[in-house]
Amino acid sequence: MTECPECAASVESHDKIVGEIFPCRECGTELEVNAVEPFGVQPAPHEAEDWGE
Amino acid sequence: MNVAVVGGSGFVGGELVRLLLGHPEVTVRQVTSDSMAGQPLARAHPNLRRATPLLFSRRSELQPAEVTFLATPHGEAMGQAPELLATGGTVVDLSADHRLKDGAEYPRYYHREHPHPELLAEAVYGLPELHRDALRRARLIAVPGCIATAAILALRPLAGDPARPGLRAVVDAKSGSSASGRDAGPAGLHAERSGVMRAYAPTGHRHTAEIEQETGVPIALSCHGVEAVRGVLATVHLLGASPLPDRELWKTYRAAYGPEPFVRVVHDADGIHREPEPKILAGTNFCDVGFASDPAHERTVLLAALDNLGKGAAGAAVQCLNVRYGWPETTGLGFLGLHPV
Repeated sequence: MTECPECAASVESHDKIVGEIFPCRECGTELEVNAVEPFGVQPAPHEAEDWGE
Repeated sequence: MNVAVVGGSGFVGGELVRLLLGHPEVTVRQVTSDSMAGQPLARAHPNLRRATPLLFSRRSELQPAEVTFLATPHGEAMGQAPELLATGGTVVDLSADHRLKDGAEYPRYYHREHPHPELLAEAVYGLPELHRDALRRARLIAVPGCIATAAILALRPLAGDPARPGLRAVVDAKSGSSASGRDAGPAGLHAERSGVMRAYAPTGHRHTAEIEQETGVPIALSCHGVEAVRGVLATVHLLGASPLPDRELWKTYRAAYGPEPFVRVVHDADGIHREPEPKILAGTNFCDVGFASDPAHERTVLLAALDNLGKGAAGAAVQCLNVRYGWPETTGLGFLGLHPV
């Protein structure tokens, strides 16, 4: 168990492996597993979009 | 439980009857409308065709009910509530007539004296997220205004923060045409309303009073009509105070609304629907709230979206009914909305 670095929601490991990318259930941020023991995540790199704004 | 709806031919009344007809604990015994007396409910609300054999009755024919909902224009409920309360029933007022605690605010915002200011102290403001305990004992429930509900739910988690004394806010609200009611007048004509983006109340909107009453925050409210039938989006700007980072805002809003069945925190990192928007909330009782931190400009932006006829009126009334009578708060309010819509 750890926290999402963006929204502080609880994030559970559920046998995830290093490098696995998954979305935070609360804020939707793509998280990348950077450690399993102890379990740790960081925001996954992604290409920026401008959404035409 | 037997309930009656007074003023059932309007948009709010129709939405309320729709919800009550689907409520497993409730039997709708009577729906009044002097202008449509003797006609089937579907004449005003075609979505209710074959849903009920009821005909509109006259207000003078109203029978005592355990709960009477007042979906009447502003100014009418304040004269009717004492008589209904005297029958021993509960009154749920969907108009503005019992929302304000200070009777002196009625001449200022509604241009009339309140004939029964003694009831203002007793009336419970019908926002379960703020007044759930009081609602359980209420005889008279005042359902909040639609824009007020959005602004209050956006502001409230930060309003009581002792680290932010002197908080002030600018509230920019957009609403759909149904918020102005069934008898909207020339401003509601298709030729006038279609495609509109109209600042109909850049200052002086009457919901200002109840937002300040419930949050304790002085606000500057500007209201706009936009091209939609249902929906309210309130954008609240907190200026001049050090904004909390998003992570702290998440914690604050999660703490405030985590257990709430109808308030959802929406601030997604990705996707189309990243912030609250009213379109997907049509017909639901949800209020989605969100936020964004703008430290470069010492600004925090708060957002809230809802259906003005749902959480902004009829849905809120049913939620209050559920709280008042100890039923699960979501009873009769399970609709999740449509997408796409």
